[in-house]
Amino acid sequence: MHIGKMDDLSRRAFLRRSKQVAIAGTASSWAMGLAGIGEAAAFSAGTDYKALVCIFLYGGNDHNSTLIPFDSTNYDLYSAIRGGGAGQTAGGITLARASLAATALTPSGGQVLTNNLQYALAPEMTRLKARFDEGKMAPVLNVGPLIAPLTLAQYQSSNLIANPRPAKLFSHNDQQSTWQSSKPEGATDGWGGRMGDLALSSNANTLFTCISATGNAVFLSGEQALSYQVSSSGALAVNGIKNALFGSSAGSAALRTLMTQTSNHVLEAEYNRVAKRSIDAESVVTAALQPVTLATSFTPATGRNSLAEQLRVVARMIAARQPLGARRQVFMVSMGGFDLHDNLIRNQGGLMGQLDFAMDAFYRATIELGVADNVTTFTASDFGRTLQSNGDGSDHGWGSHHFILGGAVNGGRYYGVAPQVSVTSPDQVGQGRLLPTVSVDQYAATLASWFGVSTSELPSVAPNIGRFSSSNLGFLT
Amino acid sequence: MKEALHPVNLDGAVEVDAPSDFNPIIADAPSPTSPLVYTIPSASLALAACGGGGGGSSPTPAPPPTVQVAKPSTDSEAARFILKSSLSVSEAEITNIKSIGYEPWLNAQMDAAISQTGVAWLSSRGYDQITADDFFDNEYPGDYMIWNQLMSDANGVRKRVALALSEFFVVSLGGLDFSWRAQSIAFYWDQLNSNAFGNFRKLLEDITLNPAMGYYLSTRGNRKEDTRSGRVPDENYSREVMQLFTIGLYQLNNDGSRKVDANNQPIETYTNADVTNLARVFTGYDWDFTGNVRTPDVGDPTRLINSTGYVLRPMTLDPTKWERPSTTSQHSTLEATFLGTTIPANTDGTAALKTALDTLFNHANVGPFFGRQMIQRLVTSNPSAAYVDRVARVFNNNGSGVRGDLRAVFKAILLDTEAMNTAGLSTPTFGKVREPMLRFVQWARTFGAASTSGNWRIGNLSDIVSGLGQSALRSPSVFNFFRPGYVPANTAIATNSLVAPEFQLVNESSTPGYVNYMTSAIGSTNGVGGDVKAAYTSELALADNSAGLLDRICLLLAANQISDSTKATIKTALDATTVTAASTTAEKQRRVYMAILLVMASPDYLVQK
Repeated sequence: MHIGKMDDLSRRAFLRRSKQVAIAGTASSWAMGLAGIGEAAAFSAGTDYKALVCIFLYGGNDHNSTLIPFDSTNYDLYSAIRGGGAGQTAGGITLARASLAATALTPSGGQVLTNNLQYALAPEMTRLKARFDEGKMAPVLNVGPLIAPLTLAQYQSSNLIANPRPAKLFSHNDQQSTWQSSKPEGATDGWGGRMGDLALSSNANTLFTCISATGNAVFLSGEQALSYQVSSSGALAVNGIKNALFGSSAGSAALRTLMTQTSNHVLEAEYNRVAKRSIDAESVVTAALQPVTLATSFTPATGRNSLAEQLRVVARMIAARQPLGARRQVFMVSMGGFDLHDNLIRNQGGLMGQLDFAMDAFYRATIELGVADNVTTFTASDFGRTLQSNGDGSDHGWGSHHFILGGAVNGGRYYGVAPQVSVTSPDQVGQGRLLPTVSVDQYAATLASWFGVSTSELPSVAPNIGRFSSSNLGFLT
Repeated sequence: MKEALHPVNLDGAVEVDAPSDFNPIIADAPSPTSPLVYTIPSASLALAACGGGGGGSSPTPAPPPTVQVAKPSTDSEAARFILKSSLSVSEAEITNIKSIGYEPWLNAQMDAAISQTGVAWLSSRGYDQITADDFFDNEYPGDYMIWNQLMSDANGVRKRVALALSEFFVVSLGGLDFSWRAQSIAFYWDQLNSNAFGNFRKLLEDITLNPAMGYYLSTRGNRKEDTRSGRVPDENYSREVMQLFTIGLYQLNNDGSRKVDANNQPIETYTNADVTNLARVFTGYDWDFTGNVRTPDVGDPTRLINSTGYVLRPMTLDPTKWERPSTTSQHSTLEATFLGTTIPANTDGTAALKTALDTLFNHANVGPFFGRQMIQRLVTSNPSAAYVDRVARVFNNNGSGVRGDLRAVFKAILLDTEAMNTAGLSTPTFGKVREPMLRFVQWARTFGAASTSGNWRIGNLSDIVSGLGQSALRSPSVFNFFRPGYVPANTAIATNSLVAPEFQLVNESSTPGYVNYMTSAIGSTNGVGGDVKAAYTSELALADNSAGLLDRICLLLAANQISDSTKATIKTALDATTVTAASTTAEKQRRVYMAILLVMASPDYLVQK
């Protein structure tokens, strides 16, 4: 395996793209992000719209409590490893087999998985079960960061040059970063942002290409594309600028000056660049969102659902795509609380229920807006978790299962290879930490291809893609 | 894009000249009150003696320096030092430090007894009582506690350091779901506060056995392996104590730079096998219910509430003291091999913990790993390698053979030439973004905020729209509010290969969110939370003198690090509305509010230099 080749591919893409944006940079007030970038189209011309929405599950979702072995043979293996009760009852960190019957999945076309595995979704995921049955949802099995395909023997080799693997496996912050960017913490561009780089020229208003409704994350930063942040209630105005500051319009003017002035100090200057971008964009976003009506409810029957609140503002931004001047957008939302070393059974179900509700509400909103086929939602997470129990939870793993949802999804079936239900099989590296069989690069490249990224551009989005036999897993039409 | 970037002179951040009146000799004797003295392993002593790469010649003892106490010569210098060291500055403190000098002032602050613990404050307000309010089942008394601790006048330096420690050894109130969680986070805070100038080794053991940490990183209830059920020890604390609390991911030189192997690759400090083995050491612990009394809940008498004691004492290995007493130890008896150390099978749990924590504490990474992050919290996001090296050397040996003397470490950080040199004021990369919670606390302390009810009813301010986007002791995860290596993409910070940890909180929502929150806090009629109001006594007296008012605020909030143009912008706005001695209180208040808000919204203030 020659790593140098990939560096070359990435570098070529980078150089070409730098040139493209350098032209755009001189032609528009890019720093404000409020002007068009010109004619250098990376995607086909036209008026079509496509959006990708990344749902990041912070903390490392326990995939073994998300897609659960249901057929009797594999259920028994799962129960034995996770401390289940006698007679397929709950126990340890397992759920009773009977509780899974309503969400057991039957894939279309008679698809047969490893060892005739049949999975059930977590019992709370009744809505995603219905979307699977409709063919709009697809699970992708055992996805994780890889630099190149890796066998267990290669993983166990001490020759890291011949057998490269991602740095700092099992570490939260580094694997969050690796999932999002292919590099550990400190990376400055992610694959959402890199797709955004290619999409800048498709959007009349480049600032609204990569939009986060959650905190700052490297996923949405490109080499040029910025991550623009909206709150769940939309763009936040500076009250003291919109209205008189303590009764003084002179105070408001001064506040605007101070928040937008430049400085020779690097940190001061960059802080104010963000503040100025916020102030400049706010009026545009607020005006664009003002007429948007959305009948779909994102409010759960009880309690709060922060993920649904974030997805609601994403839906509203998509509804306002025309006044915002957007043809290609990448969004990011998140939920936390998945690092369940303890209290796994007590807490996982609630998280699954929230995820199920929020994803389904968002999908229904895209139907309402007439863009169900144009919007694809997918999950990501730090890592999967151990199959083995630590008593009342599980520990950090590697590969995990993820969901794709949308009108363009070839759903109702699985993608990837189901891992054996085992802590000794060669598809795991100990305690059931899955050795991924689908790389994040393949996952990203499949989404990117649907988004409009050409095959020759894929290495600039997914830098390791050339080392894998397929760059399209086929889960999108 | 390129034109928008600012040219940066990086040289200035590395080579700084000492101010003429500053004596850089700070390696003083250890505090005689230091509770524990740890022997330094001979290998570390040898390393320290070699100076970690400081040239080949054998060290010759320097002639004893002329003892000359360095003193700030101006109010700005005084305020600059105090604002790095403490949570706020007052005129009286400026006068005092100019009189007695930097180090004596710092010594006095470090010597000052803790005026009141967080746990004691909760008791004093009745929050440890079982009432219809169910304090035991709520987080908010924990928020009130920490805002009271930070905003009350005493122990500013100690609390500033303890807050920095709370961002290194993270436990989050929002992650604690058990009875008396407010008392639990208060006890955690109190342990950080009481150990702030003690020894790192004792602090490490205290937080390891702390009941809140035990819950947060799941040492509590962590059981030994069971071959029958296949259960293995929980790896949570084992991993994070290495990655975050002691040695970090990569082997470091003493100046904080990464060591590299023959292929020029960084060298990882531990493998997953180290994590799995060390996890065995942290098995067998649970909360200590000694003397527990169960009291019926007021609203639901069938529910029995444990007394507070179990969250106020270290976890125990003794299963007879657990909530469900047992005679079976849950401590792993397997051999544990990690970081080149082997704890033999069947080692007693207490002895195993001592070996494990000694091993971590004595790892060469701790000084640079911890020291660099503390410099980032207090002084500058991008310290020079030489600065990190100087601080790490003090960590390794305080001059009297003691490793991990935190008092000496924090003195080394605050009194370092790079922290104090005037070059930092004009170096375009020096300094750090003030954290939102620190700005808010500084406002309250500077302008005499007090609680009407006495309960300091300020809650969780984490919300980005309605709050500050940051709230003390409420990090979203054990990885703190921001990472020490965070690089904001597409900025001159990234282009210049710098880091800016606090920028992880800076975005298009948080920038207006902060200004909006401070606008409402500063001008609030009833006070923050309907309770905490600033007095503005001295400021209102200066309200008819816009220049004098602004001078005062710029000194106290920003050590006069406000540019002339920013001051002119603010003064113009203040003068747009005439205020005289005869103006109404409301008119004077509006001018004072505006002056404070505009300073606090200016980039000059937002970056501490």
